[in-house]
Amino acid sequence: MLMSKIVPVLLLLLVTLFLPKLGISQDNQQIAPLTSAQALLRGPERVGNLNPVMIPADNSQTAEKILLGKKLYFDTRLSNDNTISCATCHDPQKGWSDDGPTSSGIRGQLGGRRSPPVSNSAYSPLQFWDGRAPSLEEQAKGPIANPIEMGNTHEAMLKTVDNIPGYVEEFKNVFGTSPITIDQVAQAIAAYERTIVTTDSPFDRFIRGDEASLTALEKKGLEIFNGKGRCTACHWGGGNFSDGRFHNLGVMPAAGAKPDEGRYDVTKDPRDKGKFKTPTIRDVALRAPYLHNGTEKNLESLVELYNKGGGMNDANLDPIMIPLNLSKKESEALVAFMKRAMSSTNLPVANEEPFKPEDLPR
Amino acid sequence: MKRMLVAFMVLAALISLSPQEGKAIPAFARKYGFNCNMCHVSFTRLNDFGQRFRLNGYQVPGQQGLEKNVFETPPPIAFRITTGLQAAHSRDANTSGFNIFGFDLLTAGVLHKDISYLVIYTPRVDEPGGDYRGETPSQTGALESANLIFSNLLTDALNLRIGKFEPAYHTVSSKRSYYIIQPYEVYAFKSPSGYIFEDNQMGFEVSGHFRNGFRYGAGVVNGNGANPDNNKFKDLYLALSQVIGRGEGQSAGQRIDVFGYQGWQPTIFPPDYQAAAGGELEGHGNKKLMRLGGDISLNIPSFNLTTLLMQGNDNRPFNFADSTKDYKFTGGFVELDYYGFMNNRLLISGMYNWVEPPDGDEGSKITAISGVVRYYLGDWTAVNVALHGEYTHRQEGKDDPFKEDIFTALVDFDF
Repeated sequence: MLMSKIVPVLLLLLVTLFLPKLGISQDNQQIAPLTSAQALLRGPERVGNLNPVMIPADNSQTAEKILLGKKLYFDTRLSNDNTISCATCHDPQKGWSDDGPTSSGIRGQLGGRRSPPVSNSAYSPLQFWDGRAPSLEEQAKGPIANPIEMGNTHEAMLKTVDNIPGYVEEFKNVFGTSPITIDQVAQAIAAYERTIVTTDSPFDRFIRGDEASLTALEKKGLEIFNGKGRCTACHWGGGNFSDGRFHNLGVMPAAGAKPDEGRYDVTKDPRDKGKFKTPTIRDVALRAPYLHNGTEKNLESLVELYNKGGGMNDANLDPIMIPLNLSKKESEALVAFMKRAMSSTNLPVANEEPFKPEDLPR
Repeated sequence: MKRMLVAFMVLAALISLSPQEGKAIPAFARKYGFNCNMCHVSFTRLNDFGQRFRLNGYQVPGQQGLEKNVFETPPPIAFRITTGLQAAHSRDANTSGFNIFGFDLLTAGVLHKDISYLVIYTPRVDEPGGDYRGETPSQTGALESANLIFSNLLTDALNLRIGKFEPAYHTVSSKRSYYIIQPYEVYAFKSPSGYIFEDNQMGFEVSGHFRNGFRYGAGVVNGNGANPDNNKFKDLYLALSQVIGRGEGQSAGQRIDVFGYQGWQPTIFPPDYQAAAGGELEGHGNKKLMRLGGDISLNIPSFNLTTLLMQGNDNRPFNFADSTKDYKFTGGFVELDYYGFMNNRLLISGMYNWVEPPDGDEGSKITAISGVVRYYLGDWTAVNVALHGEYTHRQEGKDDPFKEDIFTALVDFDF
């Protein structure tokens, strides 16, 4: 008797589950973006488009502010010697990062870490590899005053900007107050950065129903990505392929470099030693070399690091770093998925044209 | 009529040989959006990540406190159903028929940081056609697991499980074996004391795991499944594991385990005593029983070799054949698994089982050779469908043993 009640219910459940797979009732219309909670609870195969970026209440998006932020982003005059802009290390043509392995600041000084991508950084709850900035606004202030990066002071930078009539006028239009403050500069840059959302990759088209957008190998790679490769243990949390959290992969210091304590520098919690923020996988092919110090030259060697269960035997090695036993073909599929299927093509973000110096405010 | 009765009894006996329902819990996969292979080498065997997830109270290792609890996730309910055709051949009968070999309802999740639960319910099924595992046409319902877990009382080093659970001395889990029909014989062996090693137990267990690969588990349990215990002595156990290399010895790292169990069961029963399976509802004159064993799990890419050896010892009063001696038996198994195709879509496994009883009980001697081929139709988020083929040649008894060949083809799916 019980079975006679259970079986129809099970059949109904099965039909509900498998009809979409069989393509019987699936419409090919665009799927509405999911809420963040919905996206989190679905695997990459079923997630919708990236969710809209969250806009902080105290920094609304306006066209004028975004344009102002874009000009500041590409303006080298924010640096001490007029040589470095945000775009120098976060170049749209290089996956919103740079050639690495670590970034060069003013007077050719080398930083200790790889330039993290600005693209989709609006989805990160914390900024920088060690998460020391709680917002894009706070992040934007950091490099200006960093002696290795732009080598300036906030005061000197503001003096420079205040002496450019074009900027003074634009800031007044956008913020309605004067003089220009560091918070306004940061807000404008952050507003621009919130528009840098890379989507419309072959993966995005695939999950919208375009089966042909991924090759057979890339589809296998997606399966590995969320299965045997265990990538989604960290590179998930919604459509940006990052949990926004911090992990110790046992990464070896670069030759001659001192060990980097990562998140520990911020929290002083010994359990955070050697932990760095999970970067997005989107457009990852454009951002070799990899890891916070650029020690993995390409995606193949990066996958091999994970396949071995991480790098050195660090006492703080993340417990999820365990050998994967990926075969050569499985590694190839995984790399193929990340290389092309995750590369965005949405314009203009994917081909952002930088401001030429002559087009910047005078 | 008699022939039909024999055939039915053989079929019922064969079905009763499938007590180890492998457990995969898609409720977790739904929570995280993971595919099954995130936690399973191929479902149902846990991989090293899945093992650490389990050890960490169903929280992603290192992420406790950042987990969504069951109130913030979809209903944490999962189903597992195995159904298909079984054909058996023995000297007494040839039988075949479609059966449901397993139907489980599972729910599990995090209630609060470091507090989680697991419940596995096997519902009552009345129809003989839907009968599985029971020795009568009606399958009684059972709470196979129902426990609460307090994790990280001391970070990694001390965790507590209370309720009915799979005890730590199941160092090789029969619940998550690829063999749906053929059990680990030494686990399922019912010695004269009535204690069955394979059963989940009621009580509490403390456990810990360490970065150097060492694990321990120790517990106090009734020792008779979910049946009431009638003696003042609770059963005790200890299991120790050491993994060499990174991993948990499931698919990475090499693991060695040892375990010991000491329990008590009654030897004197009232005249009208009705034995309950694995139970000791009534009786007195409790005597001691012990189980000692160990296993190794060796991994190279695409292969796992697991071998387990166990010795059982029931005190003399249990030994119906010779009450001057303890009832001592040995048993074990060797299992070799191979994973093929992309994302471990194919599993091929072979296993040899044996149980060697003492003199006087030669009729209980068991040898079995088995093979399994499983093919996974896909690896989707929180859904898995496996085509499962299993064959066993089993012999019971020493002289003129009872031989049977069992073929099973089934679909194993959970969601």
